[in-house]
Amino acid sequence: MHRRAFVRVLAAAAAAAKAARVDLVARGRTPSDGTQIRSDLPPLKIVTRYAPAATPGMPGPFPGRVVTVKSDTCVDTTTNTANDQVVREMMAQGMRALTGASSTAEAWRRFFTPADVVGIKVNCGGYPNCISAYEIVGESVRQLMGLGVPASQIYIYERYQNQMDECNYAAHVPDGVGTVAAERANRNTDNSGYDPATYLEANLFGEEDTRSAMMRLVSQRLTKIINIPNMKDHGATGATGCLKNIAYGSFSNVARTHQRGKSHTYSVVGTLASMEPLRSRTVLQIMDGLRGVWHGGPFARTTKYLFYPKQIMFGTDPVAIDRLLLDIIDNERKAHGAISIWDRSPSSLHIDDGRARDADPNVNIIIREPGHVEYAASLGLGVYDLAKIKVQELTV
Amino acid sequence: MLPAVLALVAAAPCIYWTQGIESRATLAAAGITRLCVPGDQVETWRTAGFTVTAVSDSEFAGREALPTPGVTARPGVASPTRAPWIVASGWHAMRGPAAKYSYTVPAGKAALALAEAFVYGMDAVLKIDAADVAPAGAMTSFTASLPPLDFPAVADFGVVDDGSAVTGEVMNLLARRNLLFEIEKAPSPRFPLTVVIGSAGYSREEAADPSGFAQKIRSQLTDDRRSLRIYGSEVVIGRLTSDGARARLHLINYGGRDIDGLRVRVRGPYRGGDAYIAGTGKAALEDPVVADGAIEFSLPKMGTYAVVDLK
Repeated sequence: MHRRAFVRVLAAAAAAAKAARVDLVARGRTPSDGTQIRSDLPPLKIVTRYAPAATPGMPGPFPGRVVTVKSDTCVDTTTNTANDQVVREMMAQGMRALTGASSTAEAWRRFFTPADVVGIKVNCGGYPNCISAYEIVGESVRQLMGLGVPASQIYIYERYQNQMDECNYAAHVPDGVGTVAAERANRNTDNSGYDPATYLEANLFGEEDTRSAMMRLVSQRLTKIINIPNMKDHGATGATGCLKNIAYGSFSNVARTHQRGKSHTYSVVGTLASMEPLRSRTVLQIMDGLRGVWHGGPFARTTKYLFYPKQIMFGTDPVAIDRLLLDIIDNERKAHGAISIWDRSPSSLHIDDGRARDADPNVNIIIREPGHVEYAASLGLGVYDLAKIKVQELTV
Repeated sequence: MLPAVLALVAAAPCIYWTQGIESRATLAAAGITRLCVPGDQVETWRTAGFTVTAVSDSEFAGREALPTPGVTARPGVASPTRAPWIVASGWHAMRGPAAKYSYTVPAGKAALALAEAFVYGMDAVLKIDAADVAPAGAMTSFTASLPPLDFPAVADFGVVDDGSAVTGEVMNLLARRNLLFEIEKAPSPRFPLTVVIGSAGYSREEAADPSGFAQKIRSQLTDDRRSLRIYGSEVVIGRLTSDGARARLHLINYGGRDIDGLRVRVRGPYRGGDAYIAGTGKAALEDPVVADGAIEFSLPKMGTYAVVDLK
């Protein structure tokens, strides 16, 4: 099939599916998967030449399943440093529990082969206090290399080079492991790191640049991706977890989705995550909950809103993990007497006033859209219903 | 897509130079061979081998002064990083193609002002900072090196200009968003859409919000019908010219930072072409795609100005 024709088929299929769902909602019924979606959504057009894998990585082989490994000693809260040995054990137990494998190596072999080119999507936005832990990233690299993936076929990636420079993952992994960013910094000037043929097109606020393109690394080089987000609050999405990290961290021009108090993240986050080949290649979710941010996220320049969930979640279903994350963030906010991430009241909204938001956890600068997780479920990315999510808790 | 009836003939803007002949070597090293100088210095510079035009201080002062091109912060109106406010005068030159213009630009802005004046064919004289001689010379050499092509400007709709400030600001916003229009004296059947401010559907009250007004026109036109789309930057303004079979696209980067991988979509029968990038030279179009009645391509790193010839 000609590429353009294929693109049109995808767009038409997506539009038809969305129209059917919107029609159901308009008639007061819910889609068959039980998710509720809004009908006031902007048109989103997916353009890609990539077909989905037979079993896309998201939700992968374990939909609705989450393994949570907790440890009181995984991080020293007085120094904010993680315990490498404890984290390694948490990783081993989590991976074995998720897969049912008898050994840690076998657990990793369920996802990766030596021929794979593996991307590790980290989160640098919370530097210096809450980024994807060096210990988790390092252990992931160690396991990959242990099963035969050469260092030269492993890439730690983010969107911005200046953030990668701050975090300096290269100092924590063996020589030869690549660190890749698509742009030098958040300046909206570097496009060559993105694939111009794989993008989401949407006019959200009247912006001239209506495209968000996938990183070339993702579309043209990687065969598998490990997603390592943090447990963080987010001013536009409510919480930033698996979905937001993999979606907004793999595409260009995404800050345009939330401005002047309004956020289109509700539908854009999940739609980006659902785009091929990102969806098929993201095979493993490791939610870093050693540390967390309960307000002011995704940034963590101060420790004011830092907290310590002291856990790591494992799964292949980003929706299920993020559904749990929403409650973790919201419960922490409640514990501090802060408004809920679901708060949409105008009285809480101080549009574009980042200073007020940083000073007061009862201030929103944008009406948050934690419903983006449920919307992602409606796209088939995972299980949102708590009653259907099976959580296995382990303690190290 | 319709070519405008009247083409703007590319004219070479002129640098207004009041320093003495002892600065000759600096200018020559920069590749500057044409100057506007005070009348009493004409002969001296001409003897030194320069092409000169006499421009007195009073004549310079009598020209219509244009603002320094670039971007600026406008809190609450433009996002400093993603979509800053663009100061550009191309629309003004379209409104007054026969006017005589002047720029007085600070260091770092000469090349951009020269590019803007060149692209819109302005009769413009520029006072530049002495520190900008090298970039100014590089820009004038670049524009002089371009293959000679002179096509009519392409427009997707018409705007009837009543000469008012409100209409001017609307044209400013339209140009900034690469909504290609032709200025008309009266509505023309050549365009499916003609904007007459003050008419039914285009009230003056609406036009008082030029940004919202430009968005309205964009939605009426639809992005699919636009002859030019630019992706990967909100600070590049394009000027598209064509004879129907070939096209020349001028791209001016007002942002002050190099842009890597700018993506461009041009509607028309074009199958390929070449890019000419100031500071780089001739370059191949990257990742070209011809489909759905348009060509798309990316440019390698560009600074202030690039030209793309399509055929």
